[in-house]
Amino acid sequence: MELQINGQRHQVAAIWQDEPLLFVLREALGLVGAKLGCGLGQCGACTVLVDGEARRSCLLRPQDVLGAQITTIEGLSRDGEALHPVQQAWLDERVPQCGYCQAGQIMSAVALLRRQPRPGDADIDAALAGNLCRCGTQQRIRQAVHRAAQGAQP
Amino acid sequence: MKRRGFLGLAAGGLTIAIALPGCSLLPVLPRRPLPTAEDAMSWLRHEQGRYTLYLPRAEMGQNMLTALKQVACEELGVAWAGVQVRMPDTRSIRRVKATVGSDSIREFALPLAQACATLRDALALGQTQGLLAAEPRPVESLRSFAGRGRHVGRSAPLEQGPAIVCGAPLYAADVRLPGMVYGRVLRAPVSPELASRVKTLREDAARAVPGFVALLRDPGLRLGGSEGVGIVARTPGALARIEAALAIEWQVEGGFEAADVEALINVNTRLAKGALAHRLRDDAAGAQTPWDIDLLLQVPLAAHGALEPRAAVAQWSQPEGLLRLWVGSQDIFYQRDAVARQLGLDETQVSVQACRIGGAFGARMLCTVEMEAAVLARRLGGAVKVQWSRAQELQQGFHRPPSQHRIRARLHEGRVQQWWHAFATSHILFTNAAMPRWMQTVSSFVGDAGAARNAQLPYRVPQQRIEFDLARLPVFTGPWRGLGAGPNAFAVETAWDLLADKAGADPLAFRLAHIDDPRLSAVLGQAARLSRWGHVLPGAAGRLRARGLACGIYKGLSYAATVAEVEVDASSGEWRVLGLSCVHDCGHIINPDQVRAQCEGNLVWGLAMVLSDGLPVGSSAVAAASFAEAPIPRLPQVPPLAVELIDSTQAPTGAGETAMVCAAAAIANALAAATGCRVTRLPVLAGDMLAAMQAQATTRL
Repeated sequence: MELQINGQRHQVAAIWQDEPLLFVLREALGLVGAKLGCGLGQCGACTVLVDGEARRSCLLRPQDVLGAQITTIEGLSRDGEALHPVQQAWLDERVPQCGYCQAGQIMSAVALLRRQPRPGDADIDAALAGNLCRCGTQQRIRQAVHRAAQGAQP
Repeated sequence: MKRRGFLGLAAGGLTIAIALPGCSLLPVLPRRPLPTAEDAMSWLRHEQGRYTLYLPRAEMGQNMLTALKQVACEELGVAWAGVQVRMPDTRSIRRVKATVGSDSIREFALPLAQACATLRDALALGQTQGLLAAEPRPVESLRSFAGRGRHVGRSAPLEQGPAIVCGAPLYAADVRLPGMVYGRVLRAPVSPELASRVKTLREDAARAVPGFVALLRDPGLRLGGSEGVGIVARTPGALARIEAALAIEWQVEGGFEAADVEALINVNTRLAKGALAHRLRDDAAGAQTPWDIDLLLQVPLAAHGALEPRAAVAQWSQPEGLLRLWVGSQDIFYQRDAVARQLGLDETQVSVQACRIGGAFGARMLCTVEMEAAVLARRLGGAVKVQWSRAQELQQGFHRPPSQHRIRARLHEGRVQQWWHAFATSHILFTNAAMPRWMQTVSSFVGDAGAARNAQLPYRVPQQRIEFDLARLPVFTGPWRGLGAGPNAFAVETAWDLLADKAGADPLAFRLAHIDDPRLSAVLGQAARLSRWGHVLPGAAGRLRARGLACGIYKGLSYAATVAEVEVDASSGEWRVLGLSCVHDCGHIINPDQVRAQCEGNLVWGLAMVLSDGLPVGSSAVAAASFAEAPIPRLPQVPPLAVELIDSTQAPTGAGETAMVCAAAAIANALAAATGCRVTRLPVLAGDMLAAMQAQATTRL
């Protein structure tokens, strides 16, 4: 079995083929940016992009995403290159506290900005309502999405 | 595997009380040494022009890596890139106490600055080799305590920020080792406070599951009263299939329902029997005139809700006789001691690496998943990763204890003359998740400072009686952000608002009239200005809007005041917070941006207390298995937060829990101001709000 992740092909060994995509990414392939928060699709910490859409990788199986382009947070920018505008906005607004949910927040924000380049507060709230944060970084998340949206404009 | 290790394991089991002399009965207790400049030398290295700082604290979102690096850079007089900060293991630094109580800047910044100053001066004199003896230096001589500097008093890039936004491995669950397998410890589906053990299991069926590695029964897997059955698999997903195949039937002793927990903390029942066991103030009882207020407030059991379910990786290396652990713990030295004792190892045979914690809030104090991973790795002789499920977090972890508060008070000429606060709750520091019943009984002579936190008034009242009872509950309770401060300050500040109302006074003026501490008056006054207190809010049909405020002093050290603005739908009782304003004073500020971040966090926690924090109990267990039953605030529920900081040359105190003393009460007081009626049970559900409004309307008829 082969998956397309961050523009590269990855072989998935037989023992991993019935595992949730989240475990395949984290344990089999070492892409640990997506996190386990609930295992039920309730918290968004495991969010990745599947053909550009934000999806919960804890609820997907490898066979669900065969042939799809999967993007994880590791694939947003390459080593040595500039960060993705959303990643940079997260640093500029100093969003993370514990940081555990932030990869999922960032991936949901990337998906939002892809379909709606200049979202309002209500759009951001709606798009990221399923990404939980216990530290209380919500205000900075909103500000960072706005900043990324502005930065992306020519 | 060493024979001695097995004997040690057996000794930790069921027969311990009979088999061993008294001293071994004591659980491993965390030690709490105050850090000195001499200790701080062990946090620092200098090699070939490069400085390394081993973080003497847990990193759990307070971004202490960043703040202590600022202190080090300032004191050493070097650029931001000149110091590399690393997470420590138990071999790289001297023992430090657990990361708790907003103590990291208050207690660690000074010795770190002193050690850095010693190193700076030695290098200036040409010494580049050997160990240095630290000199305690006066605060006045330290650059990092002299107000704003090159690094201190300014925002700084978040250390590990780039790693977080790029998804680099930082957390215990991110650790991957060659040959690593995955473990889980199965327990009866009841509170681990109850005794439970395996009745039957189907081992052959489990062994037939693809990916099965091992089934391990070991006394070291016990948690509280619950026997643990270890299962190990080649992939994490196989664990659920093995669990299903095992089909364990459990034998459980005893049981309880929600009403049993409520009965144990029923403050009125306890008051009917006389004085409560622990007294913080015991002034003579006052005149037998009616009370001006008589209020019963109820705060439920609540989860920490950190996004990271706890995880640990353990690796036993036979040739070295070394157990390595990667943990997300508030006390790596306690982990080492607990694991060494259980496995019969010397402390030099256990090395514990600190990893960034995906939210702790008090929950990462004990040795739980770490012990599970250590025992499984030791028995298998390899590397094992264990990460709890969300359900395990809720059902096997400890929680904020529920509490009931009865507050009575009398006014005299517009001032509070007599105050009587009686409350019943459960242990926090002497948690039942770590302490056997007999030990809690011994501890009852000293009460529980955690449960009592912020029960003292920040106001001048001539006669006060403040007393409480502690009840061991059938569910695990323990430290939760701010310990007792959240519930106690909520109760105090709610009652105080009601007293202002009875006195016919403005809540702000009424508070100011009872405050002696100028720093508390200052944050309160500034919060009022920030929120335009007294300024009329625009109304809308069917929507009730109002502001509420609250203030307090956390641990007698840090000051905060909050104003909340809320809107209530008169027809449904649905409510939301429109804005929260907070003014915060924690003395000298190292990193204003991160003090603000902690303050924002506390405001959202206060919101959560009123909005949703509350764990259901039923069928002898915490009756919650996911965020559906134990929700935390979502993005649309979090209003704009305005935070102002008072910076000063006063000694730095702490920010991690400060605004817990006022955020929840400010919101509850705003709801009461908007509707004219008070919901006395947290969280404030729309249905309860509506019922209270309807009851009040009926009374008026």
